[in-house]
Amino acid sequence: MATDIRAESAPSSLTLRSGNQMVAEGALRAGCRFFSGYPITPASEIYREMTVRLQARGDVALGAPDEISALCYCIGASQRGAKAMTATSGPGWALMIEAFQYALMTETPVVVVLVQRLGPSTGGATQGAQGDVLLAEFATSGGYTVPVFAPSTPVECFTLTMEAFSWSEALRTPVVVLSDKEVAMTYEAVDLARLPEVPVHARPMASAEGYRPVRFGALDEVPPFAPLAGSLKVTLTGSAHNKDGWLRKNDAETLDVLRHLEAKVDARARDMAMVTRDLQEDADALVVSYGITSRAAREAVRLGRAAGRRLSFLGLLTLFPIPVEAIREAARTVRRVVVAEENLSGLYRKVLGGALPDLEWHGVNTLGRMIRPAEILEAL
Amino acid sequence: MTTGPDRQSFLGDRPVPYCKGCGHGLVARRLGEALVRLGLDASQIVLTSDIGCVGLVDPLFPTLHTVHTIHGRSTAVAAGAVLADTVLGEGRMKNIVMIGDGGATIGLLHLTQAALMNVDLTVLLHNNMLYGMTGGQHSALTPEGFATSTTPQGNWVPALDMEQLLRGCQAGFFARQLATDAELADVIASAIAFPGFALVEILELCTGFGVPLNHMDGKALRALAEADGRQLGTRIHRNDRRPYHEVYRERFPAPSGRPEATRGDGSPARVFAHRLQRPATVVVAGSAGERVQTAAAILCQAAILSRLHCVQKNDYPVTVGSGFSLSEVKLAPEPILYTGADAPDAVLITSADGLREVRGRGDLNRLGPGGVVIADESLASELSGDGVLTLPLRRALSPDTAALGAVAILNQRNGMLEREALLAAIGVLAGDGRAALERAVETAVSLAGQAAADPAEEGGR
Repeated sequence: MATDIRAESAPSSLTLRSGNQMVAEGALRAGCRFFSGYPITPASEIYREMTVRLQARGDVALGAPDEISALCYCIGASQRGAKAMTATSGPGWALMIEAFQYALMTETPVVVVLVQRLGPSTGGATQGAQGDVLLAEFATSGGYTVPVFAPSTPVECFTLTMEAFSWSEALRTPVVVLSDKEVAMTYEAVDLARLPEVPVHARPMASAEGYRPVRFGALDEVPPFAPLAGSLKVTLTGSAHNKDGWLRKNDAETLDVLRHLEAKVDARARDMAMVTRDLQEDADALVVSYGITSRAAREAVRLGRAAGRRLSFLGLLTLFPIPVEAIREAARTVRRVVVAEENLSGLYRKVLGGALPDLEWHGVNTLGRMIRPAEILEAL
Repeated sequence: MTTGPDRQSFLGDRPVPYCKGCGHGLVARRLGEALVRLGLDASQIVLTSDIGCVGLVDPLFPTLHTVHTIHGRSTAVAAGAVLADTVLGEGRMKNIVMIGDGGATIGLLHLTQAALMNVDLTVLLHNNMLYGMTGGQHSALTPEGFATSTTPQGNWVPALDMEQLLRGCQAGFFARQLATDAELADVIASAIAFPGFALVEILELCTGFGVPLNHMDGKALRALAEADGRQLGTRIHRNDRRPYHEVYRERFPAPSGRPEATRGDGSPARVFAHRLQRPATVVVAGSAGERVQTAAAILCQAAILSRLHCVQKNDYPVTVGSGFSLSEVKLAPEPILYTGADAPDAVLITSADGLREVRGRGDLNRLGPGGVVIADESLASELSGDGVLTLPLRRALSPDTAALGAVAILNQRNGMLEREALLAAIGVLAGDGRAALERAVETAVSLAGQAAADPAEEGGR
């Protein structure tokens, strides 16, 4: 995060880019060829950027009449084999939720960028917020783990969008990039010539040999994909289904398919865990944060250390699956753990408390404005 | 009812799951015949089914691709698949959407959008005038007077006329048939062959609810349709619109190895010096359309050329062409973690709109130690105190360059950047307007010089 790229960069290759623009950059680098969007602040810039860039390549960028259409277009395109993405904010996400679970049930890769703000659509379009974090994760019925990645800088918008495509394709599951207005619409210097390399996993492809529409052995295996209009017969349904893709209620194979949808994600939780560490030996307090607030948290730690405190910082880039091991490791020596996030009741802190009940959790929370480093330091 | 294996219709040997007398099974059979008649290969056919009894159709076609979607969204999922196939792929997909009147009601926008765009897909709208699977409730396609479980005395809202709706969408193909019509397979074949959006509305009676609640049988269906003003047959068939993907590919052809345009061509090779010891926060505020955010971007770009870190945030009211326009810029020698502008070092105000906004935000009360305000002379009566400098920004420069002028004046006074860095930044960011912006910087610098020579301009107003 906020690495000093100036030392290695020629000034001529540095350019002002917003988080939104870098999401688009990451999507294109990851091979996204299909985007559909519906206007909503603060995500609209992604829609515009993807439209201009994809159309210049002869790829598909599509304005949708609502957010449900936007995600459904992406799902259909992905079922045909295209890497697809949409971007929205909380009010649009509310409309997308059912289609999102449909993607999960049909093992259709798709990336949804959710740029948080105050809701509902009349709620405060240009005010930052981190209030959709649980709505993103727990949008689906059934307790499935939805991978959620949260960038805090334009460069992380680039890398995490690529990671989102990578995991979405590899696991054949929808992934959320959880941005926020302050990350999305703030312009910072980015060296476009020296962006980090992020390897993007490919979607596993099916062959005729032994083909079944939903083929896996161990529950955590990812079924190879066959595209619509290809030579292998595709059978997709959002209903509970067996390995042939046919609707069934509760036979053993169908229940296996349901458990498999979770197992394939859960088994890779450790590989998906991405954090930014700034830990101090013998720290007595740790601040855990994500998105824009993680930058204020790191500043708070910097200020606190300058005043003689022993403090550690852990920025979470992966929110779900919860990077439990990284948090436990960072909290090893500390008395208290403070979670800073822009929502009133400490949404993410609540799930951390459930995942790591032995730690002493405290919150710094605001709504409608950014959390200041001094406020975090005071709580540490 | 069961059907045997049937090579002539793509139908398999599964028993048809529908109630005795339901038209859905008949429609499936006619669809199969149409597909055979068109000489299509199973691998190119995608059956996209919606929710309801109609959604039980998938297993009846064991060799076709089948996609069973969520309620009402079948057309949108199918449209995405078709566009990916026709624009990005080989374009051999034939996508047939199987939807009921309930799905058409909740998913109406997907239907009209596909029709407006003229996406090359075919919709078979199984209209039995109620929601059968959930207990016979009325839909937007239930005719007036028709009894359903939720309108037991007869529906009192007119039914949506798909023909009129689709005419309004400039749809190319619309037919209305009874499930029992002998020509149904031919009509479905014509719809599938049609290059663009095609919808066949198939009228049926739900034997579970429609028949008993209305005391009528299938023979009454034709009279019911006609009484409701619905004419049967192929009602729209026009070939004056090209399908969406053809238009799209013509407008946005795939480039033949042409590299994408890159930015920053005007960047100088040289690195400029700076005199910034600690982070500096500048708020620039003015009126919409007066290039306030451009001025802030030039300041940021100049900082970049001076190897400083910078962040820029822009704000404006929902009406982008009126009211205020504001940018926050933070510059620092070290990486910037916290991006908030809690205590600005300088507030630059070029108009009354800008002043109102910075007052609302409280920027003037939060000014950091030694903070300065540079404002247009028109605001002099409203601003006073130490560190306030009012100058004829709008008069000596122009409303469009006042903000950049204020930036240049601030820089001239505190010397944080080289003036050449500002000029170079203009070279990077500005296209045709470059000369005017460069002139504005020079004019502003001389204004700053005059102000320094005449300290009466500063404070006390």
